[in-house]
This record gives sequence, structure tokens and C-alpha cells, in this order.
Amino acid sequence: MLKPTTLAMILAGGRVDELDVLTYGRPKSALPFGGFGRVIDFPLSNLMNSGIEQVAILSQYRSYSLINHIGTGAAWDMLGRNRGISILPPFIGSDHKDWYRGSADAIHKNLDFVQYHDPENILILSGDHIYRMDYADLISYHKEKDADLTMAFIKVDKAKAHRFGIGELTEEDGPRGGQLTNYWEKPENPQSQWASLTVLCFKPEVLYKMLASNQKETSFEFGRNIVPAMMEEGYKIYGYKFCSYWGYTRTINEYWQSNMDLLGEDPVFKIDDWNFRTNLDHRNIRDFQPTIVGDYGTVQNSLVYNGCRIEGTVRNSVIFPGVVVGKNSIVEDSVLFFNNVIGRNCCLSKVVADVNTVYGDGVVIGAEVGRQARNVSVIGWNNRVPGQVYIGDGATIWPELKSGDWKKCIQSGEVVR
Amino acid sequence: MKNAHETLVLLLAGGVGSRLNILVQSRAKPAVPFGGIYRIIDFSMSNVANSGLMKVGVLTQYKPLSLMSHLGSGEAWDLTGRTRGVKILPPRTGSKESDWYKGTADAVRRNIDFIESNPSDEVLILSGDHIYNMDFAVMLEYHRSKKSDLTVAMMVVPKSQINQFGAGITDKDNRIIEWEEKPAVARTNLASMGIYVFDRQYLLDTLARDKTEVDFGMHLLPHAIEHDNVFAYPFYGYWRDVGTIQSYWETNMDLLKSDSGLSPQAWETITNIEDDNQISDRLPARFGSKAELQNSLIPAGCKIFGTVVNSILSPGVVVEQGAIVRDSILFQDCIIKKNAVVDLAILDKNVYVGEGAVVGAGDGHAVVNRESPKHLYTGITVVGKRAQIPAGKSIGRNCIVQGYTSEAAFPAEDLSHGTTLYPNSELQ
Repeated sequence: MLKPTTLAMILAGGRVDELDVLTYGRPKSALPFGGFGRVIDFPLSNLMNSGIEQVAILSQYRSYSLINHIGTGAAWDMLGRNRGISILPPFIGSDHKDWYRGSADAIHKNLDFVQYHDPENILILSGDHIYRMDYADLISYHKEKDADLTMAFIKVDKAKAHRFGIGELTEEDGPRGGQLTNYWEKPENPQSQWASLTVLCFKPEVLYKMLASNQKETSFEFGRNIVPAMMEEGYKIYGYKFCSYWGYTRTINEYWQSNMDLLGEDPVFKIDDWNFRTNLDHRNIRDFQPTIVGDYGTVQNSLVYNGCRIEGTVRNSVIFPGVVVGKNSIVEDSVLFFNNVIGRNCCLSKVVADVNTVYGDGVVIGAEVGRQARNVSVIGWNNRVPGQVYIGDGATIWPELKSGDWKKCIQSGEVVR
Repeated sequence: MKNAHETLVLLLAGGVGSRLNILVQSRAKPAVPFGGIYRIIDFSMSNVANSGLMKVGVLTQYKPLSLMSHLGSGEAWDLTGRTRGVKILPPRTGSKESDWYKGTADAVRRNIDFIESNPSDEVLILSGDHIYNMDFAVMLEYHRSKKSDLTVAMMVVPKSQINQFGAGITDKDNRIIEWEEKPAVARTNLASMGIYVFDRQYLLDTLARDKTEVDFGMHLLPHAIEHDNVFAYPFYGYWRDVGTIQSYWETNMDLLKSDSGLSPQAWETITNIEDDNQISDRLPARFGSKAELQNSLIPAGCKIFGTVVNSILSPGVVVEQGAIVRDSILFQDCIIKKNAVVDLAILDKNVYVGEGAVVGAGDGHAVVNRESPKHLYTGITVVGKRAQIPAGKSIGRNCIVQGYTSEAAFPAEDLSHGTTLYPNSELQ
């Protein structure tokens, strides 16, 4: 029986300010994406396709949705004697009384778990990025270079670079990678365009040592603390250059755009080739019957999973299971999560709608028929939008509004709680 | 440990269903795909699981491999664990009288050992051939309340249709007092659904009586009605025996009618998504910018760039731009190339229809299939698994293209109505 040599640890993340409505009740890694999956399916599918099947997920923010989604791990074939997904929540014990104080602290608090598995390589990933990577190739590079730490980097626009951990890499191995000669966490004036993807492969002894010394500090993040400390102490750090599609999802516009990238004659985001898997037992989406497009239904340039009933028009949209679009309604440029039920004569333009919302007849969101909204509107989950309500583009509607909270007309950009 | 009196279920899945022609060429009838993502047996299996019954013996015989693979461990219906299970029971050698199953009662008789190792108060016997939704727990309660030896589920049908079924004449108490197989003159509107609840010991005694009694409906039932307590359990819901190409096609189309009564989702019909070309790995259905749709069922995994009207597709079907699919049923992974037309046809898995080809051309709906006139006579053309229709070729009505027929096997001319084509180029 083959014992796995790599242990993967996924940082499930938490609330994201700019996605506050969508991360109201779930961590960003559990955010639905692409018509049937969740963001965390991307790192999990990558791990599965890379042959890494011993995985831990560190989670503390509103984990219920995530825990349900992971299930037994069988969806990614991570179930077996030497295969598994373990969810590691914070705990109280002898001297660990706190919640996780940062990514490095989270790992440090679980060193028992890590050392029990005694891996040759420890792969630390964020659970909330959308990309496809063969981690086995990164680990192979890491071993070739005998690196203490290998991090994945992607080239970003100079305009965006200040949001990321930025690294300066040598040209040592051309397009494959190079040594990290400088590193700045969210620099105001970035000196390089290589941004960290939060994919870190460590030599175990090095990780243990750095985590221990980090405990004396007041901030416990890999990007902000561990990597700069390692640079200072002269550790051998390499950058693995990643050059494929990466879906940005930090803001609502980026999240919307990443979904839209799946569409079109020649999609930017070619998910068909990715061997992407989700857990169809979550929410029992496996039990939905196929979608029925009715007598007056139209579906063009869209992705639609099972369990929907389309009696109206759907264009340029991503539709999750259980969505109903009533007669004469038009849904364009939108992402509708599970079980959104849209009545008749509605018009939705550039809407991202969280789960379980019911829309009365004649609701207009974003723009009137024939026009396109400028900005993306967000509708929080479990809402009942009364009939004939008009919601201007770029509006933000919080989850679970009471019937008294609704007005006949909500202005563009307005936030309704 | 659970109560050992959980009703044992015997599911008869050995039949040929020959009138389904190429659809049963490589698989038993219960394994025939239905409604895009299901197989016919899913309806019986889901009824069993949703009724709280947990031990099922599936009696197989004809081409059982697809069926066995589809049932798998039973996990899809949550029938795994210490007190649950799905057991495949094929015919087997080993004793002097070992033989193939010769009929419904014969099959059960040859599995008395299975019945004896799973003690329960009653035994439920049903087939895997029908599309319906029933709570067997209610039928079992009814059986017990009547203190019945044998209860037969019976469907209320219009008297004009009774000539197709086993018919039961009942008294005011619903006791069956007379039985007629496919009667010419209608004396009742109660038709047998082939679903039986037996008291366990009564079943064992009945089977022991005479080994030549091989069929429940024809032999055991008339005898029981004369001598024992036999009751009818009336059933009023949707029920179809999809035994002919025409009825198979019509029943599939009922999925598109919201008032038909057929609703797998409302019925909580469950299929095994892990098997069967990995339905579990399918991505959401992709619709192109020029896709035209009307009244159709489109599962995940399809790629629609052309026109689909009044049709039932299965995962992975590709309809290219300019292609038209109308009034048809397409199994998994069929590819319909540019400007091809598929009209009133049933295509088995992985059929390739070349550019500009027409499957179902012309008005010859009344020209019956020459080789199988009793199978195809309503205009539907059927194409077998992995057949390849050459570009530009035209195929008429009531035609059969046998499975695995390659492009090279096609004649130069188009296929006229009622023709059957074989992989060796033989034309009937």
C-alpha cells in the first residue's frame, strides 16, 4: 500500500468584505460557482488530479456549508485507507485557547495532525482561488531545486499588483520558475508583476521552525510574516511560474466576470478540459431531474445545470440547479444560485442572486427590457422580492429582508438591509 | 439490530422486452435508459427504497451486465449497510434441476434459499419494467388489514383497455373472485400491475405445490383465487408499461407535459449517477448563442448549438449549429453534426449523425418495418448503439439501423421507409 508523501492543507478562509452579502453565511471557499460547484472544488479538483489525496481543511468562519459540501471526501475520490479529507476546526486544549489568529497560527495549532502524517512535503493552499494547476509539477520543481519553500506566482497587471504578495524572481528556469530574491506583501509601488497565489510547498522541518518562531510575534500570516522572515534568514525560496487562467473573485464584479468567462464561443475559462468535480450529494443536487425548457423558453449562450424549469428567456447567464424562470421573464448576464424562483414578466440584468430567493411577477433588477445594466446587483439569500419592485443596477440587497423592508423602487447602488 | 420482519423484496428483472428492438439489443429492459438520466428500473428501485424497504433480491437473466453495473452496491438508493442490501440473483447451476428461469414463479421458486435466509412476514414481488410511483408501505398495511394471503396491486384502467392486461373481478370487499388474462369482453376495470404481496409461508407453500406452475399471472394466481384469500389493492396514479417502441416514446414525452402526472423529481426517483458514463462528472449544459429550444429536456453535459424541439436528450449529447432535433429521444453522447436532422427517432448511445444527414425523412409513417412489423409501425425510426450515419444520408420512417453499423456499411442509396440495416451491410 502506498503511503502518501504530500499532505495538503487548505485555508478555507472566511468572510470577504467586498463579497459581504455572498459570504454572509458561508466562507468564500464555499461560494457557489459555475452553475453547480463551489470555489473550493477548484483546489480540491487540482489535488485530486495531482494525485494528492491526504488533505486537511482549516476552517473557522461559519463552516456548516463547507462541512456539508466536503461530506466524506468521496466526491474527489479522497476516501480510503490512506486517503481522506479532515476538517480541522479551532479547539480548546492545554495552551491553545484562541480562535485561529491567522493562516500561520492555524497551521501551528494543528502541528499534531501534521506530524502524525509525517509527510515529505507540506502543501499549503488557499481554498478560495479559481485556477487549474498540477501541484505534482510544482512539487517536482521544489525537489529539483532542493528548496525550503516553493511558492506559485502569476503575472498580474501592474494596476492590480498592490493587492497581492509580490515577488521578484530570477530567470533561472525561464518560464518554469526562478529563485525568489525579494518579496513584498501588498506593496504600494510594486517592483514586479509576479503575484503570490498562496500555494506554498514547504520542507516540513523548515515549516515547523518558522511557525514556532512566528508564535512570538503579533501577526500570524504566511504572506505578511512567514515569507519575509524566511527571506531575512536566508532560506532558499523558489517561485513556480503559473501562466494559465486564474479567476479573480475578490469583488462582486470580479466574481461575476469569472463566471461570465465560462461563456461564449471560445471561453476564456475553458472549464470543460479541467476534470472538475463537485460533491453532488451536497443539497442533493444529484436527485434533480434534467432541466426542462418549456414551450416559450429560450436559452442562449448560457450554462444550465439539472433541475431547472425555463419558461422565459435566459441569455449569457450561469444557472444553478432548481432555478425557475417564469413566462415572459428575461434573465441576462446573470448568475442565479440554487433555487431562485423568478415569476412572470420579470427582467434581470447583471444580477448575482444568492440561494432560495423568490421574485414576484414584474420585478425588474438592473435594467429594463432591451437594455443592459452597467453594474452588477447582488441579491442576498432567502429573500421574497414583492411583485413589480424595481431595483436599480449596482444595488445590494441583504439576505432575509422582512416584507416591510421592501420599497417599490430601489435606486442604483443602494444598499438595503 | 433492526426488526427482522422487514418485508423482503424480489424484483424480477430477467425479461427480454423484445418489442423494444434495438433498445434491448445489448441490455435487459429494466436497464433501458429513460428520461435522460434514468433507467427504467430506477422507478421500482426508488419506490422500494422510498417505502422504507431495505432488502432487495434482483432476479436477472437476459443480458444483465448493464443492469448489474447500474445497481452497483445499492448505494445510490442507500441500500448498503448491515441490515440492507441489493443482491443480484442470476440463474445458477449446481443441482439436478438447475436451469434458466422459465417464468416469473419459476424464477422465484429457484430462489427459495434466498427467501429462507431472509425471514420476514411478507414478500413483495414486482418487476423492474414499469414507470410509476407507489408507496409499498401502504399496500402492505392494506394486505395486513385484509388478512390476505396474496394481494395484487391493480390499476384502474378504462374498460376499453382491459384487453391488454390480466383482469380481476372483485366483490365489494375487493376480494378477487375471478381472473381473466387479456379478456376480449370487459367485465372489470381493474388491471394487474404485476405487483404481489405474499404472506411468506403462503408463498413457500404455493411454490412447493407444482414445479410446472412457472408463471404467477397464468398459473398461481387463478389457483389462489379459487382456494385462498386473494385481494385487489386498487392503484390510481400514473403507471406505464413501456414495452413497445411507441409506448416508450410516448411515456418519455409525458415528461414534457406538466399535467401528465409523470414527475421523477416529485416522486423522488433516484438513479445511480456514479455508473453509466459517469453522469456525476458532467458539466452544466452549455447553450450556444444561436441555440433554439422548445419544450425539451436537456440534462447536464449536453452542448446545444442548434435546434431542439419536443425532445428528450441524455447527458453529453451535442447538437451542432444548424442541426435540428425534433420529437426524438437521444441517449448519451450522441453527436448530431451541422445541418443534420433527427425527426421522430430514438437514438441509442454514442450514435453519430453526419453533416446534413436526415434520420426520419419523408411521410412514410404508415409503411411498417419489413423485418419487425410488430415493433415499428407508427413512424418512429430507431438507431442502435454506436451506429454512424454518413453525411448527407437520408433514412426514412420505421427504419432500424442496427447497433455498431459503421458509415462504410451504408448502401449508396438512402434508406427507404421500413428498412433495416445491419453492420455487415445486409439490408432487409
